[in-house]
Amino acid sequence: MDQQAILGEPMEAWLSRDAANNNRRLILTRWLAGVLVLVITAASVHVLGLPLREYSLYLLGLAILLYNGALVVLTRRASDPDGNLYLRNIRRLMILQVILDWLSMAVFIHLTGGITSPGIVLFSIHVVMVTILLPGQSPYVYAIFGILVVLAVALLERANVLPYSGVIPGVSDDLHHNGLYITAQVIFFAVGLFAIVSITSSIITRLRERERQVMALLQTTRDTSSTLELHVVLEKLARHAAEALLVSRASIRLLDPTGEQLTMAASYGLSQPYLEKGPVELSQSRLDLEALSGTVVVIGHAAQDPRVQYPKEMAEEGINSILVVPIVGRQPLGVLRVYSDAPDFFKREDADFLQAIAHQSATAIENALTYEALQQAEQQRTRFIRQVTHELRAPVTGAQSLLRVLLRNMAGALTPQQQDILARLENRMDGLLALITDLLALAASKSIEHERKLEAVPLQPVVQAVVDGFAHQADEKHVRLKLTLPSSTLVVKATEDGLKRIFENLVGNAVKYTPEGGLVQVDLAECPKCAQVTVADTGIGIPEEALEKMGEEFYRAPNAVRSGIPGTGLGMAIVKEFIASFGGLMRIQSAVGAGTTITVTLPLADA
Amino acid sequence: MAKGKILVVDDDPDIALATRLCLESAGYEVIEARNSTEGLEIVKRERPNLIVLDVMMDSTTEGFQMALTLRSPDPKSEYQQYQDIPIIMQTSIHSTTPVRFAPDQDYLPVDRFLDKPLDPDELLKTVGDLLKTS
Repeated sequence: MDQQAILGEPMEAWLSRDAANNNRRLILTRWLAGVLVLVITAASVHVLGLPLREYSLYLLGLAILLYNGALVVLTRRASDPDGNLYLRNIRRLMILQVILDWLSMAVFIHLTGGITSPGIVLFSIHVVMVTILLPGQSPYVYAIFGILVVLAVALLERANVLPYSGVIPGVSDDLHHNGLYITAQVIFFAVGLFAIVSITSSIITRLRERERQVMALLQTTRDTSSTLELHVVLEKLARHAAEALLVSRASIRLLDPTGEQLTMAASYGLSQPYLEKGPVELSQSRLDLEALSGTVVVIGHAAQDPRVQYPKEMAEEGINSILVVPIVGRQPLGVLRVYSDAPDFFKREDADFLQAIAHQSATAIENALTYEALQQAEQQRTRFIRQVTHELRAPVTGAQSLLRVLLRNMAGALTPQQQDILARLENRMDGLLALITDLLALAASKSIEHERKLEAVPLQPVVQAVVDGFAHQADEKHVRLKLTLPSSTLVVKATEDGLKRIFENLVGNAVKYTPEGGLVQVDLAECPKCAQVTVADTGIGIPEEALEKMGEEFYRAPNAVRSGIPGTGLGMAIVKEFIASFGGLMRIQSAVGAGTTITVTLPLADA
Repeated sequence: MAKGKILVVDDDPDIALATRLCLESAGYEVIEARNSTEGLEIVKRERPNLIVLDVMMDSTTEGFQMALTLRSPDPKSEYQQYQDIPIIMQTSIHSTTPVRFAPDQDYLPVDRFLDKPLDPDELLKTVGDLLKTS
């Protein structure tokens, strides 16, 4: 499998950065090499008085500097503005550099004595660099080219096709004609080069593998902890585990509440029939039992292994190797398995690596499990409250309906005292129904389910409908109720029901607590990335000591209680909860006897 | 002579009684049914002038189902001839489920929604309006 394809986007960026770094280092080394050729040539000729082919070497040094300059320009063209090399350009650029360097190396060796050149050693430095830069077998190919070029120069100089120019005084001029010397030099050179390539590439391969593992581990941790949805966490973990170990199948089984069964919680690359083979009984599956007791289990021939519970299914799925590690958080959670078609595929290092991945992900799994349990509890609670509320409402509604009919003398005439008693009864029933309704609204505002239902809701129609709904009540009380709406449509992220509850409570309170002749003014306006609704009244006001308690369940300001106006003490709690769930804010300004202004700010849906 | 025959379908006997008393006091003749099956039978037998329907009976949507049956657009429907009987839906569903229903010809073929508990004045006014126009 291709490494880039496995590791996805971030790995590609990293590879590109790595290539860009290598490229920069190579270019820097070459500037140095070019300058050194010039300086050492000058020094050797003019200080040491060595018989070098001075001008040819100057030319070579200049050529190196010149093509290095050209490579700088090419690199810049092949990079993005951040200096990262585009991956498709890397190979071409590297090959071009290697060819140019190889040519200058050949010229340099020829100019400094061919087979007797002390510069031959420099070739090994170049081979190390090429091994770092080029993948797979290409460094060996390059080494062969290196040996060939030294051999070619030696043979051509021996045959006097190329002029020989010895640089070390005292070395016999005949040495480059000596067959034995040439053979020995070339053989030792070859052995040296191959040894260098082999050692360097094995170091580089291990280093790269470690680097890949660290990246995979980081990515797994980051990915699995980026969500609280259990199935997403597990699916990401399964996929990352398979990819990190360069296989195409993985599964995660979690312990069920009894602790006796492992149920498939997520899988990657496994076939449907295999997934449906049934739950793993812990007592029958020795490999999982061993894994859960903390031992890493490596299986090389699944179908023949007595520790496997479903050998036939394994064979049908084509699985030969299995690696199982435990997932342990505060307590054992389950097992992570990876599978391979190849027999004896997984090694000890793989086990350590997979164990690290499982360990890193355990916290994410535990968090998601806790979150899931919380959500379930919350859903149960909401369902329960809804059910209870309905059960409470039904009898009250029935009783109230009957009372109202009685009060209107529809079941026969009533004495004034009976009328009065029934009116009181009706009042108490109204209060009870209001309380039940508010309790339900409060429960709804606190449910997670409610937060899931947030959608874009236009604000104007809701506010307009609420204000219209109170017009009659305000009229009867001789309170003026005014509404100002902006010309542009304001859409907020909320639920229509929640918005209605907020403004029914705020406008309702304003009308309720404003004496005859007063004014309730509702203003809707746009603010930066938000909508602002102001409900201002000239009512009884809220005492300062009560302001901070507004929104506490069942709390009512002392002056509100004294006023004798009925209320459940839940209205502001409902308002507060809904506003918070919509990501909004509420500000209350009030002066006793002068009035209250409540400002609600809600974020716009598209902001 | 009664002003009209009204069918009240509600599984809550108290609500049904309150509705009956209210309507009878205004001179209507009232027939009660406890569920939709009984209600549909009475529709065929008695051909009421108006129906007052509860949303929630045995299931949360039984009332809606009955309205849909009565107003079925299928020309072969056995209730074809009862399509124009006005329907008032009495409901407290507004506050118990997060879904809100509104009279919508495509979705719920009822003429009016009234909230529970019963408001006698509103009920009589609505019934009067519907019977006048029908």
